[in-house]
Amino acid sequence: MPALNWKIAGAAGEGIKVSGLILSKALFRQGVNIHGYTEYPSLIRGGHNTFQVAASIEKAHAPKVALDVMVALNANAVLNHQEEFTDQTAIVADLNLIKNDLTGFKRQNQIIDIPLAKIARDSGGGLLVKNTVALGASGYLLNLPLESLNQILTETFARKGEEVVKLNHQAASLGYDYVKTNFPDKKLNFAYPGKPPADKIFLTGNEAIALGAVAGGLKFYTAYPMTPTTAILHYLAAHADQFGLVVRHGENEIGVVNSAIGAAFAGVRSMVATSGGGFSLMTEGLGLSGVTETPLVVVLGMRPGPASGMPTWSSQGDLLFAINASQDEFPRLVFTPGDPAEAFEAARLAQNLSEKYQTPALVLTDKYLSESYFTVDRFADQHLNQRHSLADSKALPNDQPFPRYQLTDNGISPRPLPGTPGGVHLTNSYEHDELGYATEESKVRTAQVDKRNRKFASMSQEESLPQPVLFGPQNAATTIVSWGSNKGVIRQALNLLPDVNFIHLPLVWPFPEKTLAKLLASAKKLVTLECNSTGQLNRLIREQTGITIDRKLLKYDGRPFYPEEIVEKL
Amino acid sequence: MTTNLHSPKRVTALPPTWCPGCGNFGILGSIKAALDQLTVTPDQAVFVYDVGCSGNMADFVYAYGFHSLHGRALSSAAGIKLANHHLPVISVIGDGGCFGEGVDHFIGLSRGNHDITVLTHDNYLYSLTTGQKSPLTPKGTVTPSTPDGTIDEAFNPLGVAILNQATFVARGFAGDIPHLTKLLIAAISHSGFSLLDILQPCPTYKKDRSYAWYRDHIYYLDQEAGYQTNDRKLALQKTLETDRLPVGIFFEETKPAYHQQVISLKDTPLVSQTIDSINIGPALKEFI
Ligand SMILES: Cc1ncc(C[n+]2csc(CCOP(=O)(O)OP(=O)(O)O)c2C)c(N)n1
Repeated sequence: MPALNWKIAGAAGEGIKVSGLILSKALFRQGVNIHGYTEYPSLIRGGHNTFQVAASIEKAHAPKVALDVMVALNANAVLNHQEEFTDQTAIVADLNLIKNDLTGFKRQNQIIDIPLAKIARDSGGGLLVKNTVALGASGYLLNLPLESLNQILTETFARKGEEVVKLNHQAASLGYDYVKTNFPDKKLNFAYPGKPPADKIFLTGNEAIALGAVAGGLKFYTAYPMTPTTAILHYLAAHADQFGLVVRHGENEIGVVNSAIGAAFAGVRSMVATSGGGFSLMTEGLGLSGVTETPLVVVLGMRPGPASGMPTWSSQGDLLFAINASQDEFPRLVFTPGDPAEAFEAARLAQNLSEKYQTPALVLTDKYLSESYFTVDRFADQHLNQRHSLADSKALPNDQPFPRYQLTDNGISPRPLPGTPGGVHLTNSYEHDELGYATEESKVRTAQVDKRNRKFASMSQEESLPQPVLFGPQNAATTIVSWGSNKGVIRQALNLLPDVNFIHLPLVWPFPEKTLAKLLASAKKLVTLECNSTGQLNRLIREQTGITIDRKLLKYDGRPFYPEEIVEKL
Repeated sequence: MTTNLHSPKRVTALPPTWCPGCGNFGILGSIKAALDQLTVTPDQAVFVYDVGCSGNMADFVYAYGFHSLHGRALSSAAGIKLANHHLPVISVIGDGGCFGEGVDHFIGLSRGNHDITVLTHDNYLYSLTTGQKSPLTPKGTVTPSTPDGTIDEAFNPLGVAILNQATFVARGFAGDIPHLTKLLIAAISHSGFSLLDILQPCPTYKKDRSYAWYRDHIYYLDQEAGYQTNDRKLALQKTLETDRLPVGIFFEETKPAYHQQVISLKDTPLVSQTIDSINIGPALKEFI
């Protein structure tokens, strides 16, 4: 399968991500699928940043290790990445700047030595356009038409004025020409279709979640910034007027969750997003949503913890926390999307189902899914929504409290929205009777718990819930079971593993017992794969099905699995 | 003021569970009177209750109600207002909930001038949990959690509100229902963040501050010659008085409320904006 693997690395603040995105877009427009993956420390300046772009004619699910081109903006960008180099890797570097630090580096002959700093200065753009020179150089190596790079530079810098655009074009062409003149035979033999893949888009998991929520009727979004979901706040804030949303950066996560519940009580669909630390602060609010039967969608972007952990890295350590957070018991949904397509759908469904069942819905993501770039099928433009579980305003009693928590067969009690004549009622965080008034009566308490639990039984039957899916051959010697963002990586690994298949869980709660049991029954050797240290899905499967899976592939260093790693460990 | 002859039902069938002589009775009486005089019907008002003796009013008021978490009533109230800004949103909260557990929300929402009315039932104690110190308890007070006397200095709620740009700041007394009713009407009518701190006797746990004690210690700001409610510095000075307690409106000003500055709320309340059919097509162009 024809594919390219490019990476840029340098210090934080050097514009690594912008450069990676420009190249990604240029490649995408030439008709290839793109996967972009970024690593960076929790710092604004200094530190080591990377952006990796995997491009392929067929679907790219995940980046591989071995690089075709590395753009090294400093010595660490060479020395820290030696395991990713093969004999074919072209290393673009300005030896004027880093020669002395590379003594002992064995692949000197693979260095495409280009005076990035000098060319940048000569171009008139100064050191600011050093990356653009490197992009031009990369363009030649990747056989990318210079015009396609220039087009994206225009789009990226148009806001800063014509002069800036011109300087960048100049810098790109100087970089391109320098490599063409001095390293003509280093050009990769890669043929591009020449036009963007039809009906594809290129975006992050965070952007997909934001769009999915909007498609599902989101009106009120509030959050307190926390990696890796901060970009949802940025995206929705920037588009609030376009979509007709209220977006509020709240005073803290406790205020955030309680105001989202308030807005939902008043009748609008609301959502919050955070990471484990913020979610910890929100847990009492989660229970408030549960017992008051007020819809709430929470996006939980996982990163390594506990406490502050490794803020800008990835993890899957919060699976059981998401399922169990808050005191006592109430129904909830926990989606575990594996890619932006599933993330979009999860966020859209979460809005609808949370309203229908009047209970919280969680969308679990992680830094890898939230902040990486993926090429996916374009989402539908038009999305129809129905309002769910609202009281019919014509049938309401007058001057009587409305039975907000009426005992019903499916557990769902219709709710009138504040302001509706005749619907006056109390929504209560205390245990309550059918009218909403606080109670400590044994029978009433039991009846209300049972009523809420009946919603869990009803939602478990919900047809729209995403079910476990099998990838790879029907019959295989080994079956990998996993969830969330490992999906792409494992699918990529399957290309190298003919006798292995893979079961992905896009939703873990209500636990998809029936579908999974069926799939597990026909599997031979089972292994679970997760980015945590104890195998939380493995534990959950045993708890829910009685099936013990002895083998676990675990990784918890903050990095996602690489396909090659899976092949090796299996 | 004229009495409304067609006063709608204001209370539920449940008898209040407060101790005899509790200041919450007077506050409930004032709320009923204020709603009558404002002619707000039960379906057109939303009350958000905190957790405390004060918040237990949830079961007794006949109006849309949300009984929230301890300390979080103001956050829920702000969300409700942003979702439907046509409804008056009134929160009932104790001094513990507002200035202790939830003080971050109090300050943040005050600075945002969120259009909510905050009634703090100020009994200088945590009453529902049997009388421990609250942020307002004077230094040196012996309570079950501070047997040697509180070490902390007391919080100044009105001063903090004024410093944090609240646009309506007042103090009332649960023992003067007509005066409190007037303040309530002004607070609910005010557009923007309004704090009405209510001196509330707690005959069970705060025996040294009886109705008589309060009557001896309060004086009325509107009877004070030359007092202006638009003078921030003067108002701040008044909040520092502890020997005699001024009641009335300390400070008020007119400023756009939070929701009035949100572009998507210009024409229609959020809850009335349809979600039947959403087109994300134009937004997808960015991702090609
Ligand atoms: C998170 C949380 N912490 C503690 C409590 C226990 N609690 C209930 S009411 C209360 C304090 C009540 O004091 P205040 O807010 O002044 O209200 P009052 O009872 O005096 O009206 C406390 C600490 C709780 N319900 N929730």
